[in-house]
Amino acid sequence: MEIADLPISTSHRAKLLAAGYSSLAALSAASPTRLARDLSIEIQEAEDILKVAVGANKSKGVDGLSTSSVIKGAQNAWDMLSDEQSRKHINTGSADLNNILGGGIHCKEVTEIGGVPGIGKTQLGIQLAINVQIPVEYGGLGGKAVYIDTEGSFMAERVYQIAEGCISDILEYFPYCHDKALSGQERLKPESFLADIYYFRICSYTEQIAVINYLEKFLQEHKDVRIVIIDSVTFHFRQDFDDMALRTRVLSGLSLKLMKLAKAYNLAVVLLNQVTTKFTEGSFQLTLALGDSWSHSCTNRLILYWNGNERYAYLDKSPSLPVASAPYAVTVKGVRDTVSSNNSKRVRFLGMLSGANWAPIFEH
Amino acid sequence: MRPAAAAASSRQPSSSSCTHQVPRAENPLLLLPSSRAAKLSLGCPILDRLLSGGLPAASVTEIAGESASGKTQLCLQIALLAPLSPLSASCLFLHSDLPFPLRRLRGLAPKSRPDLLDHVLVAAAHSASDLVSLLSRAQHLLAHPRRLPVRLIVVDSIASLFRADFDASPADLRRRSALFFRISAKLKELAHRHQCVVVVTNQVVDVVEGEQGNTVAWSSGRRVSPALGLAWANCVNTRLFLTRDADGPGGGARRRMKVAFAPHLPERACEFVIRRDGVFGVEPSER
Repeated sequence: MEIADLPISTSHRAKLLAAGYSSLAALSAASPTRLARDLSIEIQEAEDILKVAVGANKSKGVDGLSTSSVIKGAQNAWDMLSDEQSRKHINTGSADLNNILGGGIHCKEVTEIGGVPGIGKTQLGIQLAINVQIPVEYGGLGGKAVYIDTEGSFMAERVYQIAEGCISDILEYFPYCHDKALSGQERLKPESFLADIYYFRICSYTEQIAVINYLEKFLQEHKDVRIVIIDSVTFHFRQDFDDMALRTRVLSGLSLKLMKLAKAYNLAVVLLNQVTTKFTEGSFQLTLALGDSWSHSCTNRLILYWNGNERYAYLDKSPSLPVASAPYAVTVKGVRDTVSSNNSKRVRFLGMLSGANWAPIFEH
Repeated sequence: MRPAAAAASSRQPSSSSCTHQVPRAENPLLLLPSSRAAKLSLGCPILDRLLSGGLPAASVTEIAGESASGKTQLCLQIALLAPLSPLSASCLFLHSDLPFPLRRLRGLAPKSRPDLLDHVLVAAAHSASDLVSLLSRAQHLLAHPRRLPVRLIVVDSIASLFRADFDASPADLRRRSALFFRISAKLKELAHRHQCVVVVTNQVVDVVEGEQGNTVAWSSGRRVSPALGLAWANCVNTRLFLTRDADGPGGGARRRMKVAFAPHLPERACEFVIRRDGVFGVEPSER
């Protein structure tokens, strides 16, 4: 059996041949990431092609040397690096915010976002649910979103507004693309942005656990979901929990499950968290809710806070990026850069905060 | 509804008395106010414009302000408007400040429509646990609608329920905030399941050192925050702040309604007056 006989789409076949994959042996030596890179297709598609190829090999009775690596998805560090570099980020809507996050919210990772009421956690959550849907031809991910609402702050009219804002910005930045892609034009409607958010409204922590358990099955059926947002992970865990050890166990179970889902389905998980006052050594301090052990369970942590009358975001924890802060604004269109922010001021502020903890900002 | 979602099964036990068997994904398009949850008008176009049409259903709105800032007046006003609004609903009015302001309610009701009072169901809550049990019983009332279904719940006020019974010790503070979240979760559940408008009034406290993160405003020359601290602030979806300055026209008080935070509204404010026939917004140009 040759490449030409593989039961795959003609465009994939043409791309394979054009990239120099002339035999099945050559194909079986390739990893999904490399194949995706060579063919400039999605990893998912590359995996599908490899599966077909492996199937063809098996039926022929040939035991391809690297089939095991294809099946188990083992990667070497080079593949991982290029995988990371080719990985897309979800735009937050604010360039300053994207900067400190290293491009945006990362897929395959869990990001926690915390802040006081009214700072814009829900706004950022909705913005991400919209921005993840920006079509690939406009530099987005073209994915869908799952929004798990525990607090009832998800207002459809606001989502509509943010979707309109997102579309008007796309049309502003890509006037040419838009003229060309008429099929894209049909897709750019706020209605379709709303319809591609799977919205779960839950009213108790048992429901929250149930939904997260159900996500695995749901994501299997909806492979185009690129972000899962929980707004907020906290709310139902701040009532009726006398047994704090149990709460910690349940929560770390949830975060572990979400981390697995993020990896397995190549999606971003965003957990919104509340802020609480903590009584330590005779004084009150602001801290994220759910306690110390929870703080270990997210890969990235972004804290939103007021600095005078401006909203700021502070990257508090990240495996690969330095701590930094940046201003952002919540406008009619959604989360955007602050208009008044000038660079010199921002640099000064960054210098002031680098290496420091965010807590001093609130401390007296 | 998405068939894929409906086909799955869930074996999770649930403490909630009214849960779906299976988590269901909803389409946000169907949640737009035009298609489902109408808003409750405040009976004044200027105030409605401030709130983009009125108080949203399936959401908890807090009205905070010092005493005599117009909180109760506003609540009585919407209680009487609910039967006439597109919601055509009756109101469940839970009050903790005794006695219930019946005379003011009668004064507000139009003379031609005394029957409007029939649609205001009143109950007194004497403590926080009292309120919790009232809300559990309300669930039955909401599930078995009367002539007009209850789609407006007013709690006036939440702060006075927590005035007593709690010390400032860390253990008591924890117990208190756990109760906030329980009450809020109950209110939000009722709001979501029955598409209710929920309004909770709150008092204010002077801002003390060490209390950070909460909404702050100037009212009557004092720096005040809504009562019950940051924990309660996490429990409401929308916070409206009523404030008062002494430097109004003609020496009278100038009152302002401010959107402190809301998921669907920008921070903005407008002036209002309290007249014999209710609370009304004032156009800025009229000053």
